[in-house]
This record gives sequence, C-alpha cells and structure tokens, in this order.
Amino acid sequence: MLDKLTQLRDRGLEQIASADTLQALEDVRVRLLGRKGALTEILRGVSQAPADQRPLLGKAANEAKKALTEALDARRSALESQETKPGAPSVDFSLPGRMPPRGHLHPLTSLVDRIVGIFAEMGFQVAEGPDIETEYYNFDSLNTPPDHPARDLQDTFFVRPGVVLRTQTSPVQMRVMESCPPPVAVVVPGRVYRVDSDTTHSPMFWQVEGLLVDRGVTFADLKGTIMHFLHRLYGPDVGVRFRPHFFPFTEPSAEVDVYWSAGGRSGWLEVMGCGMVHPEVFRHAGYDYEEYSGFAFGLGVERSAMVLHAIDNIQHFYSGDMRFLEQF
Amino acid sequence: MKISLNWLRDYVDVTLDPDDLAHRLTMLGLEIESIDRPGESIRNVVIGQILSIDPHPDADKLVVCRTDVGEGEPLQIVCGAKNMKPGDKVPTAKIGGVLPGGFEIGRRKMRGIESQGMMCSGKELGLSDDHSGLLILDADAPIGADAVAHLGLDDVIYEIEVTPNRNDWASMIGVARELAASLETTLRLPEFALVESPPEAERLSSVQIENPDLCPRYAGRVLTDVKVGPSPEWLCRRLMAAGQRPINNIVDITNYVLLETGHPLHAFDYQTLNENRIVVRTARADESIATLDGETRALSPEMLVIADATRPVAVAGIMGGAETEVGENTTQVFLESAYFAPVSIRRTARALGMMTEASQRFQRGADPEMARYALDRAAYLMQELAGAKTALGVLDNYPRPPEERRIRLRYARTHAMLGAKPAPDTQKAYLERLGFVAEASDAESCTFRIPTWRHDCTQEADLIEEVARLYGYDLIEPTIPAVRRTERVFAPNDGRLRRLRRELAGYGLFELVGMTFSSSAEVAAVGLSGAYLDMVPLQNPLSENLAAMRSTLLPGMVRAVQTNIRHGRRDVRAFELGPVYRPAPERELPEQTLRLGLVLTGNAEEPHWSRPVRTADVYDITGLIQAVGDYFGASLACAAAPFDAFDPDASAQVTLNGRAIGWAGCLTPAVRKAWDIEQPVFLAEVALEPLLDIPETPVLFAPIPAYPPSLRDIAVLVDQSVPAGALVDAARTAGGKLLQRVDVFDVYTGKQVPAGKKSIALSLVFQSPERTLTDKATQKAWDAILKRLQDDFGAQLR
Repeated sequence: MLDKLTQLRDRGLEQIASADTLQALEDVRVRLLGRKGALTEILRGVSQAPADQRPLLGKAANEAKKALTEALDARRSALESQETKPGAPSVDFSLPGRMPPRGHLHPLTSLVDRIVGIFAEMGFQVAEGPDIETEYYNFDSLNTPPDHPARDLQDTFFVRPGVVLRTQTSPVQMRVMESCPPPVAVVVPGRVYRVDSDTTHSPMFWQVEGLLVDRGVTFADLKGTIMHFLHRLYGPDVGVRFRPHFFPFTEPSAEVDVYWSAGGRSGWLEVMGCGMVHPEVFRHAGYDYEEYSGFAFGLGVERSAMVLHAIDNIQHFYSGDMRFLEQF
Repeated sequence: MKISLNWLRDYVDVTLDPDDLAHRLTMLGLEIESIDRPGESIRNVVIGQILSIDPHPDADKLVVCRTDVGEGEPLQIVCGAKNMKPGDKVPTAKIGGVLPGGFEIGRRKMRGIESQGMMCSGKELGLSDDHSGLLILDADAPIGADAVAHLGLDDVIYEIEVTPNRNDWASMIGVARELAASLETTLRLPEFALVESPPEAERLSSVQIENPDLCPRYAGRVLTDVKVGPSPEWLCRRLMAAGQRPINNIVDITNYVLLETGHPLHAFDYQTLNENRIVVRTARADESIATLDGETRALSPEMLVIADATRPVAVAGIMGGAETEVGENTTQVFLESAYFAPVSIRRTARALGMMTEASQRFQRGADPEMARYALDRAAYLMQELAGAKTALGVLDNYPRPPEERRIRLRYARTHAMLGAKPAPDTQKAYLERLGFVAEASDAESCTFRIPTWRHDCTQEADLIEEVARLYGYDLIEPTIPAVRRTERVFAPNDGRLRRLRRELAGYGLFELVGMTFSSSAEVAAVGLSGAYLDMVPLQNPLSENLAAMRSTLLPGMVRAVQTNIRHGRRDVRAFELGPVYRPAPERELPEQTLRLGLVLTGNAEEPHWSRPVRTADVYDITGLIQAVGDYFGASLACAAAPFDAFDPDASAQVTLNGRAIGWAGCLTPAVRKAWDIEQPVFLAEVALEPLLDIPETPVLFAPIPAYPPSLRDIAVLVDQSVPAGALVDAARTAGGKLLQRVDVFDVYTGKQVPAGKKSIALSLVFQSPERTLTDKATQKAWDAILKRLQDDFGAQLR
C-alpha cells in the first residue's frame, strides 16, 4: 500500500511537471485529487487498513497529498504567468514611446535665469527698471553729462528730447540707490537698445547688471565675485583676466576676458565690464562716498550665449525660428 | 590708432618680445585689436641694382633686365614695369623668394626668355597700394641687403583702441610715456634745433582770437622758402605704417607730428590768406567754406572757424579749406598749432557730419601745453625736409591757459578701495612716473599736480585707478565679499514670472523673445487699429518697420508663424512673455506693461504612430488660458466678443472676475492671406499685471471627504444656440450643496438629434461630507437639475 502511494506521488509529480497548459494541469489534478481521484481513493481506503498500519499509511498519504497540492499550485502560477504573455515578443521597444509635450525655454531667458541664479545664491536680489528711460537716469546721473565723450560710444534711440530707450541696464542702479540706503546688492536683467545692427549687434539686446554697495567693498571683492561667477558659468578651469578700461560710472574700471576655445580657435574673449562705483554716481544717489564703496558690473546676454553655444549670428535669437529654438 | 613698434622705439627702449609687449599694453588698458607683422611672410627679397634694360624680342610690353643682387652673376629678370632706368635700386625677389600671401618666386620662362627672379612694386610687398611701377629705393640703399629690414617691414603694427577718456594715448609719445612708466624706463622726447631767421613773424602775420572760450590758445609760425615735394622714404613708411597715405612733405609733416605728439596741426598757404592774417571767430550768418575733401559746407553762427581778413579758411579743429591748401606752388606756409574747446568741436563736427583725426582729438581734449612743442617740431621738420626758413618768433596767443589741477591722494584710501596694499612710496612713484607732480606730501597722503594731458583725472578715485593700473589688476588678490541681505524686495514678480515660463514650456510651448520694435503698418497688418495704433514712436529709428515700440505681441507671433511655415514647419505652439508700451503724455515716461501671448497652428500635439493626429482648434487656446488662470489661482473666462484681428465666429474676450484682460480667437482669413498663411492660426494675448496682482496666498486644504461620491449623468436636447456653460451654471445652482462637480462630457449634433438641436451630456458628482448619500437623496437633486434645465432652456431629457 505504501509502495503504491509512493509510486502514485512520484508519477503525479512527473505529470504535474509536464502539464503544459492550465487545462492539462487541471486534468492531472482531477485524476489525482478529484472526488474519484487516485489519491482520494487511497485516503478513503486508510480507514479500512489494518489498525497497526493505519497511522503510518495515513501520515504518508497526507504527506503525498501535501506534496502534490504544492506542486500543483506552483505549476499553476507558473503556467498562469506564462499564459498572460503571448508567445512571440509583441512589444517593439524600437518604436518611439509617447513623449510628454516638450516645450523650449528661449536660450536668452534660460541664460538670464542661470546668471541671475548664480548671483542670487551669493545674496544679490533681482531688480528691474523701465526700457524707456529719462536721459537723466541713463546718462547724466551715471556721470555721463551731455557732450561727454562717452556718449559717442553709444548711439542712442530717442523717444523725445530727454527720453531715450535705455542703452544699458545701469540706470536701474540709480533707481535702486535712490529708493533705499545702503547696503544694496542687486542684479538687474533687462532689454537695452543701441542704434546698431549686424551679425553681432542687434538694436535690442539683453544685459545683466549687478551692484553691491556697503562699507568696505573693494576691487578685490569685485574680482572675487566676478571670478566666482565666471567659473560657475564657463567652467571652473576657464582663465579669467581683468584689464583696465573706461566706463564713465566706475573708477577704477575693468573689462573682463575669459580664455575660451571653440571651433579650433582659442583666445581671450571680452565678456564683461565692471568697476568700483564712481563717486559722482554716489553723489547723485545721495550715498556717502567716504563711508560706503561699491562695485558694479554688466554683461551682454546675447554675447555670452553666443560664446557658450557657439552661435554665429545674433539675429537667430529674435527670429522665432523653431529650428533654432528647439536646440536649447 | 596704429602703433608701429619700430617707430615706438624712437621714444622708449623696449626689450619685450612683441607678444609680451601686447600683453603689457593690454594690461595697462590699451586694448589691442589686432597685431600685424607686415614683413613676416616675406623671404629672400633683397635690394638689387638694375644694370641694363633691353627690349624683349617677342613681347612689346616686357623688357629684359640684368639686376645685380650683390652675389654671383647678375640675375636676368623679365619685367613689365616701365618706371625704372639702369642704375635704379629696387627690391628684388630671388628664386625661392616668397612674397606676402605665400606667393613663391620660381625660375620660369616668359615668352621664351628665362626670368631668374622678380622686381617688386610697393603693393607686391604689402607696403602700399602703389602698383604703377617698381618701388624705386634711395640711391644709397646697400645692394644685396635684406629688403624687409631696409624698408622697415620687419615691424610689428599694433592696432589699439583708445578709450575716450585717454586721448593722450592717440599718439606715439602718449603710448611711449605709458610704456616707459610701466617698464620703469625713461621717455625720450625728440630733441631738435629749430633755427629762426629774420624777418620777425609779427611783421608777416598776426593772430586775433575773438572767442577765447572756444579757442584758449592759438600759436602760429610763418615759414618761407618752402620747397613742396615728396617726403623722404622713412617718413612715407611711417605714415603708411600708421595707415595714412603720403601727400607732400608739408602735409605729411603735419600728419606725422599729429601722430607723434597727438596734437593736430594745420598748414595754410600763407600767400592765399587775405591780408596774411588769422582771425579765430565764430562763423557769420550765411558763410560757407569749401573744405579739403571737396565739399562745400554751410556754416552756422555757433561754429568756430579760422578766418583770414575776409573769409573762413578752415573749420576750426576739424578741416582746412580748399582755397588756402598747400600745393606744389606754395613757397610760404602759415603753420597753425592751436587748442580748441572740446564741446565746441564735438558739436560742430556732429552738425557737419565730419569725423577727422583732428576733430577726434580736439573733442576728447588735446593738451594745450603740447601746442608749442608740436608747432616747433613741425617747423623743424619743414626746415630739414622742405628747406623752409622759420621767421623769428612765435605768434602765440594764449588767452586761457588751463587751470592747474591738484588732487590729494590718501594712501589708505587706495588700500580701502582696492583691497590691496601698495606702500605709500610705491603709490607716489607710480604717479610720478606717469607725469603727475608730487607737491605737498606727508605720511598719509600726497597732493599731485595733474599733467595737462590728463583731462580724465579730476578726483582722488582717478588717481587710485592710476595706482591700480601700474600695480597691476592681476596682482590684486580676489576675495569674496560678505553680502548683507535686507528685507527689501525690488522685483516681487520675478520668481512668479520665471516659474510661469517654465510652466508654459511644460505644456509643450516654445518660448519666443521678439524685438520690441514695431510699426503702425505692422499693427494694421494683423487687422488692428484704434488704441493699438497709439504707439511710442522713435525719433531716429533704424528703419520704417522698426519705427515705434510695440503695442501688442500679436504681430510678432504672426510673423513667427509665417517664418516657420516658410521653413516647412507648419506646427507652431509658442508663447511670448514680454512688455508692450503706450504713450502716457501726462507722465514722465511712457507706460510699459507685461503681456502674455499664445499662438497655436497646425497639429495640436506631436504626431505619434499609435493615434491619429489632431489639429489645433480654438479650444486649445481657451484651454491654455484656463491653465494660466489656474497657475495664478484665478478663474479666467472666455466669452464670445468681436476683436478686429479674429474671425467673428471664433473670437472671445478673456475676463478675470468680469474685468477684460485680453483676447483669444482665430486669426481672420484676410489677415492670414496678407501674411501668406493658409492654415488656421489661433492666438491669445492677455495682460499679466491683473494676474500678478492676485496675491500668492497659500492654498487652503479642503478636508478629504469621508463618504463616497454618487456619480450620475444627465443628457438633454437643447437648441443649438444654448451655450454649454449656461447649462453647467444652471445645473450648479439647481444641484444644491450636494452637487460637488459638473463636467460636460459629450456634445453631439447630427443624425440622432432633430435639426436645430444639440445633445449635451453632463456628468454630475454628488457627495455629502456627513453621510453616504442614499439613492433617494441623489435622485432628488438630479430631478431638481433636470427641472431647472427644462424650465430655463426647454431641455428635453434624452
């Protein structure tokens, strides 16, 4: 009886393992464990066995049932998971998936955000001013009175006498200083305008201006701030140099070059202007030049973008051409 | 300004190699725009002497020369030039020689005769534009010597940008002075011996200044026995190195001294001056002058002129007159060296549209003290190079000598400003090397007298910059400042707008940044008029289509669509966030406000193989507007209303709490046609300020319902004219507190419904915060909604 049981169990396990559909497996189950199944018959027969064999036989029969039931369950879940997948590979992963909609921020506003972000981390706040400015804020208050030679450098759009399209974001310096006492730490993005148009000049372009005024601000601080900024923007290894230059509203003044390589050519490229705020500017702002000092800086956003992205023509920025915009 | 290194060496010893010199100049603030080495590529060109010239047997236009190049047999050279004779010395390229541009000289036959080299013109050596014949050298040129060195082509020419504050750099001596200060060496000014001889200049001429404010100094000399002719080779070479063309010795000398000293001079033909005298005055009404450039210039009374007894003979400090020009027959010269007030020169030059070497220097401020030196220097050169005799004495009228300027420098102030600590003695030494004269001095400070050529130095900060420049910007160690923060906010909307742009890009839109210029024609081209034509005009626009500041974003967006369609990109989904402008006559400045523009055309989404492509329609635009409203925590409504740019059937006003803030719709076919666009274009433009005025308050949490919702639909037939929004509003009021949400989920017209009707299906969500709703309660609310729709709109239940 025990031998028959062992044989039944082993054969059953074999049949279970070789059942390759759920239906075949179900047939095996019915044959073994169904109401008239072979094992069911044996279990029923245990009560008729001699009393001394009964415990042993009962134990073996239950163990066989357990083994078969477990094997059936395992085989069933294996077959189930197989059957939910159709045989041949029906997903073609080389087909493009459904992309979420992809828009593009304009390279100029992205760069402005990046520049402003770097200065914001250093503690500078964003400030703004109007595109259409008085000559006073754009020139006179910035130590550029009428007939000053520096006015020749910037061909200005006039709206009416005394009112211009600002040629620089610097007038915002004055508006900010007039509105509050030191300390001041602002960064000023915005559109500016000059009568000029070719592949590297646009009559409208973007600048970012910065101003820090407090007690004890030095040219060394200006250098440190600008170098930190340029290393963040152009990379930690970029060469940076400051060379003397002239701006009416700073003294001492400097232009800043980065050593940049692109398209097989490398050299110093001018990227910023800066300097210590001129005493005349403080005078107009009502700041005490003996107590406070400050630095200011400015950069052309288009120019920086053209350097960073190797863009050859400034007019691309304003064309609305998606073949350009989608690259950023 | 072009600086020749060979010339510069006259005034200062330079041992740096040319690249290091460029770096040194750059770090002093003299920006190098280019470096040119004119003779760099020339090889194997020597000085040859032509021994004989014979006709070419087979070519009328060629000759065969024998030229001695100082070694071996004379070379046989076939040549097409005509200007030479036997005995002339000419630059001669030997076989294997190389000319500028890499042109290599080989042995070759010309019409059957072998040519063993090439004799060169000025142009072929890159020396000048002269290609009319061979460059004939001075008779004493050494045969066989390197022509490059002989001609001064072994030079380095630095093109420097002179900043407007440093006019003193617009001269060889000015640059040399700076360099000498930086290299700690001495500046050598040319020394010369001018010989004066009778009669006295005062007996030959006179100078009268009527406007001393405009002409603080006028010095002149009279020269006689002048022989006008070509300048010597060295002078021509230097002028050409500086980018000027030699004319004659007298004119060349004035130009040479201008380049050398930075001080403009002018030579008049003495005999053409009426009464041989000079009057410096403003122009009289209706006066005009024929200037050297061949133009006739009408003068106005604020313009300063140099006149003789009767008429203007020069526009002061800008250009001389044609009638008093020095020419071949001139034998006597009145030489002018004056100082004019910068503002006057600047205004006159602007008014006449004349920018000359002289006007540039005077309007940025020349050195009045240099006037005499430059005058004598030029007279000396005329004595040496034109045989001129200088009359006794100078006619020097100097009514307004410059005030002596003194500035005190506090050494500690330098430290405080720079964050570097050059010692007091060092600071003082820097300034002295630059020509500043130390006067009163103590341990803390020193007062300096400012050189007359330094118009830019007016206060202590200017001296600190001088110290910083000579100390070296690169030696100032960078530090990071402690930035003190304040509670002030200068641009409260900046962050919100930046996030809005990201949000819009997240919807799949491209960001446009347009020109803020526009024109009334462009506004009209999108069908707009009225207030949109009230634009801020420019007085000096670049062109007619950029003549005003934009009043709307719409034309720019339509242009973007046109541009992209022309490039075969028919699907445009974009936005622009930027300013528009409007005149505000009652205020100091025009009004500038922010707008958001949206534009959609072509496909509404990226095509995908798994689904049919949907083209954009007006609901894509209104949906975007809703999304923008959501971003600001506001509800933006679109209601049909006519707008000139839009199709009457698809034109809506955008409102915020009943206040109109913009428009949305579909561009009219007429406008599309005008822009050559065939497909529908959907646009919107809304004012952002009303949205930015909505405070950024935190969202208030609504408790999450504890009881399940009960979902019902209702579908009704109504007249075509009934707006779906009206049904939704009616359902919302009729549904009472239990109705949490109403959505339109289907709109149908067609075979299944009678003509003139449409079917609208609403999904309704009922929910109570207090209990699970019974069917009965839900049904009661549903019935109330149906009744309201029946009563208000004659709706029939489907």
